[in-house]
Amino acid sequence: MSAAAAVPILEAESLSVRRGPRLVVEGVSLVLGPGEAVALIGPNAAGKSTLVRALAGLLAPAAGEVRLRGRGLRDCGRDAVARAIALVAPDEAAPATLTVAERARLGRYPYRGALRPFTTEDEAAVARALARAGVEPLADRPLATLSAGERQLAALARGLAQEPSILLLDEPAAHLDIGHQLRLFRVLDEVRREGVGVLAVVHDLPRAAAWAERLVLLARGRVAAEGPPATVLAGPAAAEAFEVAIRAEHLGGRPVYLFDEKPTPRA
Amino acid sequence: MSAARRRRVVLGLALALPVVMLVAVAAGSVPLPLRGVLGSLLHGLGLGIGGALPPSSETILWVVRLPRVLLAAVVGGGLAVVGATLQSVFRNPLADSGLLGVGAGAALGAVAAVRLGWAGTTFLALPLAAFAGAMAAVLVLYALSQALGGGTLHGLLLTGISVSALAAAGTSMLLVATEEFRVKTVLFWLAGGLDGRGWVHLRIGGLVMLGGCLVLLASARVLDVLSLGDEEAAALGLPVHSARLGLLALAALVAGAATAAAGSVPFVGLVAPHALRPVAGSLGRHLLPAAFLGGALLVVLADLGTRVISPNVDLPLGSVTAFVGAPYFLLALRHADARR
Repeated sequence: MSAAAAVPILEAESLSVRRGPRLVVEGVSLVLGPGEAVALIGPNAAGKSTLVRALAGLLAPAAGEVRLRGRGLRDCGRDAVARAIALVAPDEAAPATLTVAERARLGRYPYRGALRPFTTEDEAAVARALARAGVEPLADRPLATLSAGERQLAALARGLAQEPSILLLDEPAAHLDIGHQLRLFRVLDEVRREGVGVLAVVHDLPRAAAWAERLVLLARGRVAAEGPPATVLAGPAAAEAFEVAIRAEHLGGRPVYLFDEKPTPRA
Repeated sequence: MSAARRRRVVLGLALALPVVMLVAVAAGSVPLPLRGVLGSLLHGLGLGIGGALPPSSETILWVVRLPRVLLAAVVGGGLAVVGATLQSVFRNPLADSGLLGVGAGAALGAVAAVRLGWAGTTFLALPLAAFAGAMAAVLVLYALSQALGGGTLHGLLLTGISVSALAAAGTSMLLVATEEFRVKTVLFWLAGGLDGRGWVHLRIGGLVMLGGCLVLLASARVLDVLSLGDEEAAALGLPVHSARLGLLALAALVAGAATAAAGSVPFVGLVAPHALRPVAGSLGRHLLPAAFLGGALLVVLADLGTRVISPNVDLPLGSVTAFVGAPYFLLALRHADARR
């Protein structure tokens, strides 16, 4: 166990989350320490997005608890949670005429609330976030004029402007081309170096394996496997969850994963 | 959407409004000379310049026209701020208190107060009833849009239509049961107008509307965060439900006061913020002041229209704004559909 995991910032213990009548996440325990890179993987409908939202405090647990630095999320207060945990999810809800910079500035809401004016510190945080997400040249563009990938980076800039200790991302690379994907994960590595723990839902398994220090495999709401990428992807749980055969080859010292369709009978 | 362009637009509106108001004060069945009006207004402000008009003109200016035009501005501004607020709260660029049934709810409340005779006997009964009607409509609308998934553009508008129809049905029933001598008062609220409005209406209604608008302006950042969607707003630490209910209550307060003062004045809340959003942007602190000025301008002009288009009959104010607003709404709807 790394030193990082020894002092977790965010911790879920036996977490279960209900959506409607269905228990979507069941008995999940996981920890996220400072500077860690964790990829949450799993087949469709495994409960990944639900788990991420519960970790951000947006969904109340049906059982178990999410703790922020040892304290239950419910006891921390909304603002304190929003200052510590930023969630970046794909969405098209933001108004079309809002600009990229205006959107990023709203990331300072947890610090300033409805009334307090922005300080130079806030402005600096917003400027840093825009630069880091690579959307500085788009700062004054309305969201409606951006591509889906650019909007995704604008949402990331809002998350970075929150200056969180934990960054949660739900499929951050969904609309990004390969160049933007590589930049996104480089940005995530940069914020990790400053001690931010990053947990991202990643659909692209080779990308998840290349970026993360640790994979958490979620299948039918439960953690089916957890550990270093090579170990998790080589294990039987991953093959079973995705119903594929997974093979690792090595190319220039880096693992390359190959997938073949392999229907496995479900228990 | 440069900041410079935005400032120019707001400055332009801020300069245009007093000019248009001055013209509106001077024009009417008895035209007053512009210079004389300006002189009398400056004199009345105690600036030691200008001078009084002849006594009859002074009366027309100070007792009839000025409070009416000021009230038109506040009603227009208030309705536009309400529209902008509803658009952000429901995240729907075509939301408007008239279209969503809030105006109809306020009218139902006002008509009920007239029918029951409270309006004539109890101080503030009419505005309070209008507010209660607006608030009830907002709550029904909010509950229905949550329950029926009215989060889509058309879903919300259709829900608004049913709320409107429900309130209108209630109003019709009251109308049938209303004594003849009160029917004209009732019809007045349904058609909208500023006839016979004076300083007392401005003092009470204007205060409520301006106060409500100022609180909404102070809540601009909450409005902005809400407009990002429930999930992102909650992730930023906003208590989404209570924030939305609070904003809706404020919107209902202003819409109720506007209805109590001027009756139904439809489409102002749609046209002013919708037309200004492309230049003013989406942020509340930019959009709300621009919308206020735009709405004020619109209703002052519309009220002027009711007085000068036909010299013998005062046209209903609500009809004039609807003649402008309904085609605008259809164009905006077509544009919104074409974009998806």
